[in-house]
Amino acid sequence: MRVITAVIAIAAGFLILGGYFFPMLAPVQTLLLNWAIILAGVATLVGIFNLITVHTDKIRRREKGSAYSALLVIGLVAALLFGMALRPEHEIMRVMLNGIIIPAEAALMGLLTISLLYAAIRLLRRRADLMGIIFLVTAALLLLGSATLPFGNMPVLGTLVRPWTTQVLAIGGARGILIGVALGSLTTGLRVLFGADRPYGGN
Amino acid sequence: MAIPLDLITGALSFLFTLLIFSYVIGDNPLFRIGVYIFVGVSAGYIAAIAFWQVLMPRLVTPLMNGNLFMVVPLLFAVLILMKVSPNLASLARFAMAFIVGVGAAVTIAGAVTGTLIPQVMGTINAFDLNLAAARGIPVMEVIFNGVFILAGTIFSLAYFHFGARPKADGTMQRLSLIELAAWIGRIFIGITLGAVFAGVFSAALTAFIERIHSLIQFIGTFM
Repeated sequence: MRVITAVIAIAAGFLILGGYFFPMLAPVQTLLLNWAIILAGVATLVGIFNLITVHTDKIRRREKGSAYSALLVIGLVAALLFGMALRPEHEIMRVMLNGIIIPAEAALMGLLTISLLYAAIRLLRRRADLMGIIFLVTAALLLLGSATLPFGNMPVLGTLVRPWTTQVLAIGGARGILIGVALGSLTTGLRVLFGADRPYGGN
Repeated sequence: MAIPLDLITGALSFLFTLLIFSYVIGDNPLFRIGVYIFVGVSAGYIAAIAFWQVLMPRLVTPLMNGNLFMVVPLLFAVLILMKVSPNLASLARFAMAFIVGVGAAVTIAGAVTGTLIPQVMGTINAFDLNLAAARGIPVMEVIFNGVFILAGTIFSLAYFHFGARPKADGTMQRLSLIELAAWIGRIFIGITLGAVFAGVFSAALTAFIERIHSLIQFIGTFM
Protein backbone atom coordinates (compact mmCIF):
# COMPACT_ATOMS: atom_id res chain seq x y z
CA MET A 1 0.00 0.00 0.00
CA ARG A 2 2.90 2.37 0.86
CA VAL A 3 4.48 1.90 -2.56
CA ILE A 4 1.20 2.27 -4.46
CA THR A 5 0.25 5.52 -2.68
CA ALA A 6 3.75 6.95 -3.30
CA VAL A 7 3.58 5.95 -6.99
CA ILE A 8 0.14 7.60 -7.35
CA ALA A 9 1.33 10.84 -5.72
CA ILE A 10 4.62 11.01 -7.63
CA ALA A 11 3.09 10.08 -11.02
CA ALA A 12 0.23 12.59 -10.62
CA GLY A 13 2.66 15.32 -9.57
CA PHE A 14 5.14 14.74 -12.40
CA LEU A 15 2.37 14.53 -15.03
CA ILE A 16 0.95 17.86 -13.82
CA LEU A 17 4.41 19.48 -13.78
CA GLY A 18 5.19 17.96 -17.19
CA GLY A 19 2.16 19.74 -18.62
CA TYR A 20 3.92 23.08 -17.98
CA PHE A 21 6.97 22.06 -20.01
CA PHE A 22 5.68 19.67 -22.71
CA PRO A 23 2.61 20.77 -24.71
CA MET A 24 1.71 17.13 -25.49
CA LEU A 25 1.11 16.57 -21.76
CA ALA A 26 -1.21 19.57 -21.45
CA PRO A 27 -4.45 17.54 -22.03
CA VAL A 28 -3.32 15.03 -19.35
CA GLN A 29 -2.59 17.94 -17.01
CA THR A 30 -6.07 19.40 -17.60
CA LEU A 31 -7.69 16.00 -17.03
CA LEU A 32 -5.80 15.39 -13.77
CA LEU A 33 -6.57 18.90 -12.50
CA ASN A 34 -10.25 18.28 -13.26
CA TRP A 35 -10.11 15.04 -11.26
CA ALA A 36 -8.42 16.88 -8.38
CA ILE A 37 -11.19 19.54 -8.39
CA ILE A 38 -13.83 16.76 -8.26
CA LEU A 39 -12.03 15.08 -5.36
CA ALA A 40 -11.72 18.42 -3.54
CA GLY A 41 -15.52 18.73 -3.88
CA VAL A 42 -16.02 15.22 -2.48
CA ALA A 43 -13.54 15.95 0.35
CA THR A 44 -15.58 19.07 1.19
CA LEU A 45 -18.73 16.92 1.51
CA VAL A 46 -16.87 14.44 3.74
CA GLY A 47 -15.67 17.35 5.91
CA ILE A 48 -19.22 18.68 6.26
CA PHE A 49 -20.47 15.18 7.11
CA ASN A 50 -17.79 15.06 9.82
CA LEU A 51 -19.03 18.42 11.17
CA ILE A 52 -22.57 16.99 11.41
CA THR A 53 -21.27 13.84 13.13
CA VAL A 54 -19.27 15.79 15.73
CA HIS A 55 -22.20 18.04 16.63
CA THR A 56 -24.86 15.29 16.64
CA ASP A 57 -22.58 13.35 19.03
CA LYS A 58 -22.43 16.41 21.29
CA ILE A 59 -26.24 16.65 21.22
CA ARG A 60 -26.64 12.92 21.94
CA ARG A 61 -24.27 13.10 24.92
CA ARG A 62 -25.97 16.31 26.11
CA GLU A 63 -22.60 17.97 26.52
CA LYS A 64 -22.23 21.60 27.55
CA GLY A 65 -23.23 23.84 24.65
CA SER A 66 -25.25 21.12 22.90
CA ALA A 67 -28.10 23.62 22.33
CA TYR A 68 -25.73 25.62 20.11
CA SER A 69 -24.76 22.41 18.30
CA ALA A 70 -28.48 21.76 17.69
CA LEU A 71 -28.78 25.22 16.10
CA LEU A 72 -25.76 24.49 13.93
CA VAL A 73 -27.17 21.14 12.75
CA ILE A 74 -30.64 22.65 12.08
CA GLY A 75 -29.08 25.49 10.07
CA LEU A 76 -26.83 23.10 8.17
CA VAL A 77 -29.55 20.58 7.33
CA ALA A 78 -32.00 23.33 6.30
CA ALA A 79 -29.44 25.00 4.02
CA LEU A 80 -28.37 21.63 2.61
CA LEU A 81 -31.92 20.43 1.91
CA PHE A 82 -33.01 23.72 0.35
CA GLY A 83 -29.76 23.92 -1.60
CA MET A 84 -30.03 20.38 -2.96
CA ALA A 85 -33.74 20.64 -3.76
CA LEU A 86 -33.86 24.20 -5.10
CA ARG A 87 -30.22 24.75 -6.28
CA PRO A 88 -28.00 27.57 -4.95
CA GLU A 89 -29.38 30.13 -7.44
CA HIS A 90 -32.91 29.94 -5.96
CA GLU A 91 -34.38 33.00 -4.20
CA ILE A 92 -34.56 31.23 -0.81
CA MET A 93 -30.87 30.38 -1.05
CA ARG A 94 -30.15 34.01 -1.93
CA VAL A 95 -32.02 35.06 1.22
CA MET A 96 -29.76 32.74 3.23
CA LEU A 97 -26.67 34.13 1.49
CA ASN A 98 -27.58 37.83 1.70
CA GLY A 99 -29.45 37.64 5.01
CA ILE A 100 -27.21 35.37 7.08
CA ILE A 101 -23.86 34.45 5.51
CA ILE A 102 -22.69 37.80 4.09
CA PRO A 103 -23.93 40.00 7.01
CA ALA A 104 -22.42 37.61 9.58
CA GLU A 105 -19.10 37.53 7.70
CA ALA A 106 -19.07 41.34 7.39
CA ALA A 107 -19.98 41.76 11.07
CA LEU A 108 -17.19 39.34 12.10
CA MET A 109 -14.81 41.33 9.90
CA GLY A 110 -16.07 44.50 11.59
CA LEU A 111 -15.42 42.96 15.03
CA LEU A 112 -11.83 42.51 13.89
CA THR A 113 -11.44 46.30 14.25
CA ILE A 114 -11.87 46.02 18.00
CA SER A 115 -9.75 42.86 18.27
CA LEU A 116 -6.88 44.43 16.28
CA LEU A 117 -7.00 47.62 18.31
CA TYR A 118 -6.94 45.61 21.54
CA ALA A 119 -4.05 43.47 20.24
CA ALA A 120 -2.06 46.59 19.29
CA ILE A 121 -2.53 48.08 22.77
CA ARG A 122 -1.50 44.77 24.39
CA LEU A 123 1.57 44.59 22.16
CA LEU A 124 2.62 48.07 23.23
CA ARG A 125 2.17 47.18 26.92
CA ARG A 126 3.80 43.75 26.86
CA ARG A 127 6.51 43.97 24.18
CA ALA A 128 7.66 47.54 23.77
CA ASP A 129 10.91 46.55 22.01
CA LEU A 130 12.35 47.92 18.76
CA MET A 131 10.37 45.52 16.53
CA GLY A 132 7.07 46.26 18.31
CA ILE A 133 7.62 50.01 18.17
CA ILE A 134 8.57 49.94 14.44
CA PHE A 135 5.48 47.81 13.75
CA LEU A 136 3.06 50.07 15.62
CA VAL A 137 4.61 53.38 14.47
CA THR A 138 4.41 52.20 10.82
CA ALA A 139 0.79 51.12 11.26
CA ALA A 140 -0.15 54.41 12.99
CA LEU A 141 1.62 56.56 10.36
CA LEU A 142 -0.01 54.68 7.48
CA LEU A 143 -3.47 54.88 9.06
CA LEU A 144 -3.05 58.60 9.72
CA GLY A 145 -1.66 59.10 6.23
CA SER A 146 -4.61 57.36 4.60
CA ALA A 147 -7.24 59.15 6.70
CA THR A 148 -9.21 61.92 5.05
CA LEU A 149 -9.46 64.68 7.63
CA PRO A 150 -11.91 67.61 7.56
CA PHE A 151 -9.21 69.88 6.12
CA GLY A 152 -8.08 67.29 3.54
CA ASN A 153 -5.18 64.80 3.49
CA MET A 154 -2.33 65.03 5.98
CA PRO A 155 0.29 67.21 4.22
CA VAL A 156 3.50 65.19 4.66
CA LEU A 157 2.11 61.87 5.92
CA GLY A 158 -0.42 61.43 3.14
CA THR A 159 1.69 62.70 0.26
CA LEU A 160 5.23 61.58 1.13
CA VAL A 161 5.59 59.22 4.11
CA ARG A 162 2.70 56.86 3.30
CA PRO A 163 3.47 56.34 -0.43
CA TRP A 164 7.21 55.89 0.22
CA THR A 165 6.67 53.49 3.12
CA THR A 166 4.12 51.32 1.28
CA GLN A 167 5.75 51.43 -2.18
CA VAL A 168 9.42 51.16 -1.20
CA LEU A 169 10.15 50.03 2.38
CA ALA A 170 7.17 47.68 2.80
CA ILE A 171 7.61 46.33 -0.74
CA GLY A 172 11.22 45.39 0.04
CA GLY A 173 10.25 43.53 3.22
CA ALA A 174 7.23 41.91 1.56
CA ARG A 175 9.41 40.67 -1.33
CA GLY A 176 11.78 39.03 1.13
CA ILE A 177 8.90 37.35 2.96
CA LEU A 178 7.18 36.26 -0.28
CA ILE A 179 10.38 34.86 -1.80
CA GLY A 180 11.04 33.02 1.49
CA VAL A 181 7.52 31.55 1.48
CA ALA A 182 7.86 30.56 -2.19
CA LEU A 183 11.21 28.86 -1.54
CA GLY A 184 9.65 27.00 1.40
CA SER A 185 6.65 25.92 -0.71
CA LEU A 186 8.98 24.83 -3.51
CA THR A 187 11.07 22.71 -1.12
CA THR A 188 7.98 21.14 0.47
CA GLY A 189 6.47 20.39 -2.94
CA LEU A 190 9.69 18.82 -4.20
CA ARG A 191 10.00 16.69 -1.04
CA VAL A 192 6.48 15.35 -1.68
CA LEU A 193 7.20 14.75 -5.37
CA PHE A 194 10.38 12.81 -4.59
CA GLY A 195 8.61 10.78 -1.91
CA ALA A 196 10.69 12.14 0.99
CA ASP A 197 7.52 13.44 2.67
CA ARG A 198 4.33 11.39 2.50
CA PRO A 199 1.57 13.35 4.24
CA TYR A 200 -1.06 10.98 2.80
CA GLY A 201 0.04 8.33 5.30
CA GLY A 202 2.47 6.31 3.21
CA ASN A 203 5.31 6.20 5.73
CA MET B 1 -50.29 38.94 2.06
CA ALA B 2 -46.85 37.55 1.22
CA ILE B 3 -43.90 39.18 2.98
CA PRO B 4 -41.40 40.51 0.41
CA LEU B 5 -38.14 38.55 0.31
CA ASP B 6 -36.15 41.80 0.49
CA LEU B 7 -37.74 42.55 3.87
CA ILE B 8 -36.91 39.05 5.16
CA THR B 9 -33.32 39.44 3.92
CA GLY B 10 -33.04 42.86 5.58
CA ALA B 11 -34.52 41.59 8.86
CA LEU B 12 -32.20 38.56 8.94
CA SER B 13 -29.23 40.77 8.09
CA PHE B 14 -30.21 43.19 10.90
CA LEU B 15 -30.66 40.33 13.39
CA PHE B 16 -27.37 38.57 12.57
CA THR B 17 -25.39 41.82 12.61
CA LEU B 18 -26.74 42.57 16.09
CA LEU B 19 -26.07 39.00 17.29
CA ILE B 20 -22.45 39.15 16.11
CA PHE B 21 -21.87 42.69 17.35
CA SER B 22 -23.10 41.65 20.81
CA TYR B 23 -19.55 40.28 21.22
CA VAL B 24 -18.48 43.88 21.95
CA ILE B 25 -19.84 43.36 25.50
CA GLY B 26 -17.97 40.02 25.75
CA ASP B 27 -18.58 36.38 24.79
CA ASN B 28 -22.31 35.80 25.36
CA PRO B 29 -25.12 33.38 24.30
CA LEU B 30 -26.44 35.78 21.63
CA PHE B 31 -23.04 35.88 19.90
CA ARG B 32 -22.77 32.10 20.09
CA ILE B 33 -26.27 31.62 18.63
CA GLY B 34 -25.32 33.90 15.73
CA VAL B 35 -21.99 32.20 15.09
CA TYR B 36 -23.29 28.61 15.32
CA ILE B 37 -26.18 29.30 12.94
CA PHE B 38 -23.78 31.12 10.60
CA VAL B 39 -21.39 28.14 10.57
CA GLY B 40 -24.24 25.66 10.01
CA VAL B 41 -25.88 27.62 7.18
CA SER B 42 -22.50 28.34 5.55
CA ALA B 43 -21.54 24.64 5.66
CA GLY B 44 -24.90 23.62 4.15
CA TYR B 45 -24.58 26.29 1.47
CA ILE B 46 -21.02 25.18 0.63
CA ALA B 47 -22.20 21.55 0.38
CA ALA B 48 -24.95 22.57 -2.06
CA ILE B 49 -22.45 24.61 -4.11
CA ALA B 50 -19.96 21.70 -4.10
CA PHE B 51 -22.65 19.35 -5.40
CA TRP B 52 -24.36 21.57 -8.00
CA GLN B 53 -21.37 23.52 -9.27
CA VAL B 54 -18.56 20.96 -9.00
CA LEU B 55 -19.77 17.37 -8.77
CA MET B 56 -22.82 17.66 -11.02
CA PRO B 57 -21.19 19.33 -14.06
CA ARG B 58 -17.72 17.75 -13.73
CA LEU B 59 -18.56 14.19 -12.58
CA VAL B 60 -22.23 13.20 -12.71
CA THR B 61 -23.17 14.71 -16.10
CA PRO B 62 -20.03 13.41 -17.94
CA LEU B 63 -20.62 9.94 -16.43
CA MET B 64 -24.24 9.96 -17.58
CA ASN B 65 -23.00 10.95 -21.05
CA GLY B 66 -20.75 7.89 -21.08
CA ASN B 67 -17.38 9.59 -20.45
CA LEU B 68 -15.25 6.68 -19.22
CA PHE B 69 -12.39 8.96 -18.05
CA MET B 70 -14.63 9.95 -15.17
CA VAL B 71 -14.70 6.41 -13.77
CA VAL B 72 -11.30 7.04 -12.12
CA PRO B 73 -12.39 10.13 -10.11
CA LEU B 74 -15.61 8.27 -9.26
CA LEU B 75 -13.51 5.43 -7.84
CA PHE B 76 -11.31 7.91 -5.94
CA ALA B 77 -14.45 9.71 -4.70
CA VAL B 78 -15.81 6.42 -3.34
CA LEU B 79 -12.44 5.82 -1.63
CA ILE B 80 -12.55 9.30 -0.04
CA LEU B 81 -16.08 8.57 1.22
CA MET B 82 -14.56 5.56 3.05
CA LYS B 83 -13.05 8.12 5.47
CA VAL B 84 -16.49 8.26 7.06
CA SER B 85 -16.02 4.70 8.36
CA PRO B 86 -13.13 4.20 10.85
CA ASN B 87 -12.58 0.61 9.60
CA LEU B 88 -12.28 1.54 5.93
CA ALA B 89 -10.64 4.97 6.36
CA SER B 90 -7.20 3.64 5.30
CA LEU B 91 -8.55 3.02 1.77
CA ALA B 92 -8.88 6.79 1.35
CA ARG B 93 -5.06 6.99 1.24
CA PHE B 94 -5.02 6.30 -2.51
CA ALA B 95 -7.26 9.28 -3.23
CA MET B 96 -5.42 11.43 -0.70
CA ALA B 97 -2.10 10.51 -2.36
CA PHE B 98 -3.49 11.68 -5.70
CA ILE B 99 -4.71 14.98 -4.21
CA VAL B 100 -1.39 15.55 -2.42
CA GLY B 101 0.61 14.78 -5.59
CA VAL B 102 -1.47 17.20 -7.66
CA GLY B 103 -1.33 19.78 -4.86
CA ALA B 104 2.47 19.52 -4.63
CA ALA B 105 2.88 19.99 -8.40
CA VAL B 106 0.49 22.96 -8.46
CA THR B 107 2.31 24.45 -5.45
CA ILE B 108 5.70 24.13 -7.18
CA ALA B 109 4.39 25.69 -10.40
CA GLY B 110 2.60 28.44 -8.46
CA ALA B 111 5.66 29.21 -6.32
CA VAL B 112 7.97 29.48 -9.35
CA THR B 113 5.73 31.20 -11.91
CA GLY B 114 3.48 33.09 -9.50
CA THR B 115 5.92 34.30 -6.84
CA LEU B 116 9.64 33.66 -7.39
CA ILE B 117 9.98 34.91 -10.98
CA PRO B 118 7.59 37.92 -10.64
CA GLN B 119 9.13 39.05 -7.34
CA VAL B 120 12.71 38.72 -8.57
CA MET B 121 11.79 40.51 -11.83
CA GLY B 122 10.03 43.20 -9.82
CA THR B 123 13.19 43.80 -7.78
CA ILE B 124 15.31 43.95 -10.96
CA ASN B 125 12.82 46.24 -12.73
CA ALA B 126 13.02 48.68 -9.81
CA PHE B 127 16.31 49.76 -11.43
CA ASP B 128 14.87 50.01 -14.97
CA LEU B 129 16.02 53.49 -15.97
CA ASN B 130 14.33 53.35 -19.41
CA LEU B 131 10.96 52.66 -17.80
CA ALA B 132 11.58 55.47 -15.30
CA ALA B 133 12.50 57.89 -18.12
CA ALA B 134 9.33 56.94 -20.01
CA ARG B 135 7.30 57.74 -16.88
CA GLY B 136 9.21 60.98 -16.26
CA ILE B 137 10.71 59.88 -12.91
CA PRO B 138 14.19 61.30 -12.06
CA VAL B 139 17.04 58.75 -12.37
CA MET B 140 18.35 59.42 -8.85
CA GLU B 141 14.91 58.76 -7.35
CA VAL B 142 14.67 55.44 -9.19
CA ILE B 143 18.11 54.32 -8.00
CA PHE B 144 17.44 55.52 -4.43
CA ASN B 145 14.13 53.64 -4.23
CA GLY B 146 15.56 50.59 -6.02
CA VAL B 147 18.42 50.33 -3.52
CA PHE B 148 15.95 50.35 -0.61
CA ILE B 149 13.75 47.72 -2.26
CA LEU B 150 16.77 45.50 -3.01
CA ALA B 151 18.14 45.97 0.50
CA GLY B 152 14.72 45.17 2.01
CA THR B 153 14.44 42.00 -0.06
CA ILE B 154 17.96 40.72 0.74
CA PHE B 155 17.93 41.62 4.46
CA SER B 156 14.43 40.20 4.98
CA LEU B 157 15.55 36.96 3.35
CA ALA B 158 18.65 36.96 5.58
CA TYR B 159 16.35 37.10 8.62
CA PHE B 160 14.97 33.69 7.60
CA HIS B 161 18.44 32.18 7.17
CA PHE B 162 18.82 29.81 10.10
CA GLY B 163 22.14 28.20 9.18
CA ALA B 164 24.44 28.35 12.25
CA ARG B 165 27.81 27.09 13.44
CA PRO B 166 28.59 25.60 16.86
CA LYS B 167 30.62 27.81 19.20
CA ALA B 168 33.32 26.55 21.59
CA ASP B 169 30.78 26.35 24.44
CA GLY B 170 28.46 24.20 22.29
CA THR B 171 25.85 26.85 21.58
CA MET B 172 24.89 27.63 17.98
CA GLN B 173 25.45 31.02 16.42
CA ARG B 174 24.94 32.53 12.99
CA LEU B 175 27.78 34.27 11.15
CA SER B 176 28.12 37.86 12.38
CA LEU B 177 27.51 39.19 8.84
CA ILE B 178 24.28 37.21 8.58
CA GLU B 179 23.38 38.32 12.11
CA LEU B 180 23.78 41.99 11.11
CA ALA B 181 21.81 41.49 7.89
CA ALA B 182 19.06 39.70 9.84
CA TRP B 183 18.90 42.58 12.34
CA ILE B 184 18.36 45.08 9.51
CA GLY B 185 15.89 42.61 7.96
CA ARG B 186 13.86 42.70 11.17
CA ILE B 187 13.33 46.43 10.67
CA PHE B 188 12.06 45.90 7.10
CA ILE B 189 9.82 43.03 8.24
CA GLY B 190 8.47 45.18 11.09
CA ILE B 191 7.62 47.95 8.61
CA THR B 192 6.00 45.44 6.21
CA LEU B 193 3.90 43.83 8.94
CA GLY B 194 2.93 47.30 10.17
CA ALA B 195 1.75 48.14 6.64
CA VAL B 196 -0.19 44.86 6.44
CA PHE B 197 -1.73 45.57 9.86
CA ALA B 198 -2.79 49.05 8.71
CA GLY B 199 -4.35 47.54 5.56
CA VAL B 200 -6.27 44.86 7.46
CA PHE B 201 -7.36 47.39 10.08
CA SER B 202 -8.65 49.73 7.34
CA ALA B 203 -10.56 46.85 5.71
CA ALA B 204 -12.06 45.80 9.07
CA LEU B 205 -13.01 49.39 9.86
CA THR B 206 -14.72 49.69 6.46
CA ALA B 207 -16.72 46.52 7.17
CA PHE B 208 -17.62 47.82 10.64
CA ILE B 209 -18.86 51.15 9.25
CA GLU B 210 -20.81 49.35 6.48
CA ARG B 211 -22.57 47.14 9.04
CA ILE B 212 -23.42 50.12 11.28
CA HIS B 213 -24.74 51.92 8.20
CA SER B 214 -26.89 48.90 7.27
CA LEU B 215 -28.34 48.78 10.83
CA ILE B 216 -29.26 52.49 10.67
CA GLN B 217 -30.66 52.08 7.14
CA PHE B 218 -32.86 49.12 8.21
CA ILE B 219 -34.25 51.06 11.20
CA GLY B 220 -34.75 54.04 8.88
CA THR B 221 -37.08 52.04 6.59
CA PHE B 222 -39.65 51.84 9.43
CA MET B 223 -39.46 55.51 10.39
